[in-house]
Amino acid sequence: MRAFGNRPLIITMAMCVLAFLYLPILVMMLFSFNDSQYTGLPFNGFTLDWYRQVFADTRLLKSIWNSIYVAGGVVMLSVLFGLPAAIALDRYEFPGKGLFRRIVMLPIVLPGIITGIALLGFYLVIHMRLSLYTIMLGQGTALMCITITEVFARLQQLGKSQMEAAVNLGANEWEVFRHVILPAVRSALAGAMLIAFSISFDEIAVTFLLTGRENTLPMTLWSLLRREVTPEVNAVATLVVLMSVILIVVGMYASRGQAATPREN
Amino acid sequence: MTTGIELRKLRKLYEGHGQGAWAVDGVDMTIGAGKFITLLGPSGCGKTTTLRMIAGLEVPTSGQILRDGLDITDQPVTDRDMRMVFQDFALFPNMTVEQNVTFGLRVRRMRGRYSEAEIKKRVFQFLDLVHLADHAHKKPHQLSGGQKQRVSLARALVTDPQVVLFDEPLGSLDANLRKIMQIELIRIHRELGKTFIYVTHDQDEAMAMSNAIAVMRGGKVMQFGSPRDIYDRPANRYVASFIGHAHIVEAKVAGRDGQGLVVSLGNGEKVRLENENSAATGESVGLMLRAEDLAFGEAGPGMVSGNVADSLYRGEYIEYVVELNGGAGVVHVHARTDLPAIDQGAAVAVRVNPHKAHVLAH
Repeated sequence: MRAFGNRPLIITMAMCVLAFLYLPILVMMLFSFNDSQYTGLPFNGFTLDWYRQVFADTRLLKSIWNSIYVAGGVVMLSVLFGLPAAIALDRYEFPGKGLFRRIVMLPIVLPGIITGIALLGFYLVIHMRLSLYTIMLGQGTALMCITITEVFARLQQLGKSQMEAAVNLGANEWEVFRHVILPAVRSALAGAMLIAFSISFDEIAVTFLLTGRENTLPMTLWSLLRREVTPEVNAVATLVVLMSVILIVVGMYASRGQAATPREN
Repeated sequence: MTTGIELRKLRKLYEGHGQGAWAVDGVDMTIGAGKFITLLGPSGCGKTTTLRMIAGLEVPTSGQILRDGLDITDQPVTDRDMRMVFQDFALFPNMTVEQNVTFGLRVRRMRGRYSEAEIKKRVFQFLDLVHLADHAHKKPHQLSGGQKQRVSLARALVTDPQVVLFDEPLGSLDANLRKIMQIELIRIHRELGKTFIYVTHDQDEAMAMSNAIAVMRGGKVMQFGSPRDIYDRPANRYVASFIGHAHIVEAKVAGRDGQGLVVSLGNGEKVRLENENSAATGESVGLMLRAEDLAFGEAGPGMVSGNVADSLYRGEYIEYVVELNGGAGVVHVHARTDLPAIDQGAAVAVRVNPHKAHVLAH
């Protein structure tokens, strides 16, 4: 097929978009290896000092761990509540189902700052001490809807007949879940988990309001940045980018494994 | 005690937007054990809903389902010992053919009934029955439509159910494959002696395979009888026009003579029917005339006269559209292709097979 429009123009525009997206990240990565106190030119030479500093900075390391811990908890919460909610929406009739289906996306549409303020007020009312767990709860309730919508969409696609066939062959509820529902939603679930993890990992608005004494990585970086952009921040950021890339590759592999066995029509 | 399945005043209300509608509206039927029964009708006639109620996948709004004299209306689907073959096959895509067929033997409630060795043996016995033993290791997406349906059938039969339910199982297959599968199903029914309850909208399929057919419309059974009964002696105009290509000509019962009923057409011509005694003299009736029961002949008493309006070459035969004289109606007549062709507009006389023509109440 002949490409429509002006080919050189389109290529130039695409390059511009890519450059705006990725050039800053490349620059940041470059400066994380620059042997200089400041983020900026000139380029004084290659060093791994900033990475050494990152791995020596217990506060930074602790906050990275906190972020992973919180994101892991958020993923668990969103699967634990999101998966049954999606199955309930797909299979069962219950009062308020229509309303539930419509407001389920609300938490992610609401600005994080509003969710954060609401939750903060709520925790204060019930005298709950702020900690990493309150962050998990705050993010988890908001991100659960990703699991619900992703899994629900897949279940709708799956249709009823496989489940009916399993029941007809004598399978109980658990066996239907284990052998029909779970294999069918596996890739949707994995995708939702990945999205929830990455959103949670760099979430700042809800976290800012709900955090106790311990900080997550974005919060620590934020406080570091308030002084100046040190190359140490660049090093941490580079590590995060690296981890994101790995996650994306793993996710793509997982979904490609699924694509090799196409859905029943 | 009756063996088999009995449906008593079975009804199912579907809640639509606004008001509900009766999907199934008072179905009474007795299905003998070991029989091959077909529920036949156009889409929306309630045949699938009836089948799903028998399976336990739908809950009847009212009425009863009896199995060997026992009420099973409220029995859970898993306890019914009836297996269903679905139109879209409903195979488990993540399992191999063998695992699909094994599924029903490995569920918790079957645990202990068969040993591992027996399971293996049974699965391959039934894969052999549907000629798929060589494909045991394949995934469903590697199979053709016909093979998928065979897997679905083997999966249903392997657990040794007494009743097998079919929801338009051949609906998504092409015409040739359908014919092959029909013969397969008849063979399997004969070999296993299970009760088969089959839903289809394809009358040829129903006629070819069943011991008895229930013709359904609007949630009701219009007629329940053998394929021959339904074809030769339809209970009403709907069944007559739904099964085969019948033309119905308005007529009046003129009386009886020694050999049967005499009906007169709108133009005064009389036709004698044998084996008919259901109508009273003077009654208005519909006279069902099928193309294969009509033949051209010499004009004379007892013949019906008309003019050829059209002819269609069908390969096996030529189909003539004949307008009867005096506006009595239109019939189609099949004639052998090696006979001289009849021109459009030519006057013809049609002989009615007195054994096959049939009167329908008005």
